[in-house]
Amino acid sequence: MFPEPQTRISQRALVVWRISGSISTLFVFLIGGGFITLGILFNWPLMIMVAIGIFMLVYGWLAVFFLPMMRWKRWRYEVREQEIELQRGVFIIKRTLIPMVRVQHVDTQQGPLLRKYGLSTVMISTAATVHEIPALEGVEAERLRQSISRLARVADEDV
Amino acid sequence: MSSPKRMHPIAALLNILQHLKELFIPILLLLFFGNRGESEGMLYLIAVGVGLVLFLVSGFLSWYRFTYRVEENELRIEHGLLVRKKRYIPFERIQSLDVSEGILQRPFGLVKVKVETAAGSGNGEAEAVLTAIKKAEANAIHDLIVSAKRGSNPNEVEAIPDESVIYKMTMPDLLLLASTSGGVGVILSANLAIVFQFEEFIPYERVFQEMEQFISNGIMFISIVVFLGFFFVWLLAVIGTMLKYANFTLRKVEDDFIITRGLFEKRQFTIPLKRIQAIRISENIVRQPLGMATVYVESAGGSSSNEESSKVLFLPIIKRHNITQLLEPYLEDYEWNSKLSPAPPQALVRYLIRGALVSLPVIVVMVYLFQIWGLLSLGLLAVTSLWAYLQFKAAGWSLEQNMVTLRYRLIIKNTVYMRKNNVQSLSVKQSLFQKKKRLATVEAVVKSGQGGSGGKVLDLHEKDIAIIYNWYSRENSTVKME
Repeated sequence: MFPEPQTRISQRALVVWRISGSISTLFVFLIGGGFITLGILFNWPLMIMVAIGIFMLVYGWLAVFFLPMMRWKRWRYEVREQEIELQRGVFIIKRTLIPMVRVQHVDTQQGPLLRKYGLSTVMISTAATVHEIPALEGVEAERLRQSISRLARVADEDV
Repeated sequence: MSSPKRMHPIAALLNILQHLKELFIPILLLLFFGNRGESEGMLYLIAVGVGLVLFLVSGFLSWYRFTYRVEENELRIEHGLLVRKKRYIPFERIQSLDVSEGILQRPFGLVKVKVETAAGSGNGEAEAVLTAIKKAEANAIHDLIVSAKRGSNPNEVEAIPDESVIYKMTMPDLLLLASTSGGVGVILSANLAIVFQFEEFIPYERVFQEMEQFISNGIMFISIVVFLGFFFVWLLAVIGTMLKYANFTLRKVEDDFIITRGLFEKRQFTIPLKRIQAIRISENIVRQPLGMATVYVESAGGSSSNEESSKVLFLPIIKRHNITQLLEPYLEDYEWNSKLSPAPPQALVRYLIRGALVSLPVIVVMVYLFQIWGLLSLGLLAVTSLWAYLQFKAAGWSLEQNMVTLRYRLIIKNTVYMRKNNVQSLSVKQSLFQKKKRLATVEAVVKSGQGGSGGKVLDLHEKDIAIIYNWYSRENSTVKME
């Protein structure tokens, strides 16, 4: 529609997403494997088992390869003097504008997986909404957090 | 005014009743599942009795401990049984006093006063509630706060506040409001359900020839009972609405809007002009053909527990074309006459598809179950298509210098007027399918109570969306149209 925001999130995000995708795929395979075992024991029609198998493979491909890649490719943000712009989404691309004057506070957050890779998530809160920039490099996230709170503080208060 | 005061003893009773209401379900569960054998029965009763007494005593004590006073331009409240709590609220922090009269307060000339502060974020704790105090007392506190806010001495002669009545509900309006509220939807859909049910059972009549008479009679009977049941529910809803909104009056006093309403339980809400975040005009399916609409304001702040302080019913029922004229003088920041642009023609297909996605699964199931007779459910497709068409017709937007207006319909048609400064964030979305048709979705969020509200319009033209996006962007330099 219009030019994309320029800053990408850390490339290491891709690794983190692939790992968490792998973990969820593991669960799907465990459950699917259970069903297939049951199928063999009780002579279910072959079709059902094939369907389960295909589902597992497609799920794994989506969760580990396709979605993280697309997600990372799409994720862009830009912090400007007066506003923050975000772009995200895989099939549906969503763009959001958050004026600095509306920012109430900024948090950073770090799960165990993110910490291992030195990444953090930045959460930007307005009076009504919360927006998240996932997986920024620790230093970058901290810098961003500080610059947003500095810029936001300049703004006048008229909710 | 400065010595600590207790509330009227009726407050103790009200507190106890309030707690009982909260404990109603646990008590019920105890009564049903707690009672095992005969011997335990006695013990159990004693336990419940002791519990109740403790309950009453603690209710009384917490009333006894609760004192309030006005000191140094602060409302000071001290309470707590074991842990003493003090809350001092400076007058300048007080956003509004909501005064209501419950059935129990009324005979004693008492009122319930809710003190709302701007903070209050997150927890309902931040505000203070005086459950039962004398009317005169409440007025005195109110006057003190008003004069303190103005920074003048309370003893000075006060100027008569500039007050004007914007809207007063008349009896015909009240009747119309009550009879066209959501309840009507229930009764209409009940009627539809009956018709559909009747059709669905037609094949059965064919199959069981001899039972035909019985079943169709039975169905007629059940239908009538169901219909009467719904009618009764609807009637109750009508009466409830009438009691709730009787004597509805909207006034403007200086910079506040004040709403009073209610027959038995009188309530009063104050909405400071500054806290209004958006104006929403809703036209439900029954009112729209009558040219009637309802106006809400989205108001910031208020406690999270209190739904009514976020989306406030501003004008319960009013002729659509009178709204502008009525509100224009009071809400000067809003542009009421800007012309809305519609969604482009190519969006209609997407609206129709979305509608069909709702009805098609039902139709497939019906055809599978009833074969050829199931095709009757195609009528449903007609209904969802009509609905989709209405949604398409409703979609619209307009921009002014400092204001955006979005119009959309889920079931009710909503027109939301938002000032640029009140929009907390603005998002646009585009799926791959939308992209092919050069369409996109726009959503603007304003603060409402503790959360967000706003407007979302599906499938506007990409070009229009870009205009809205650019308008909202503070730094247009980077955002150019294609």
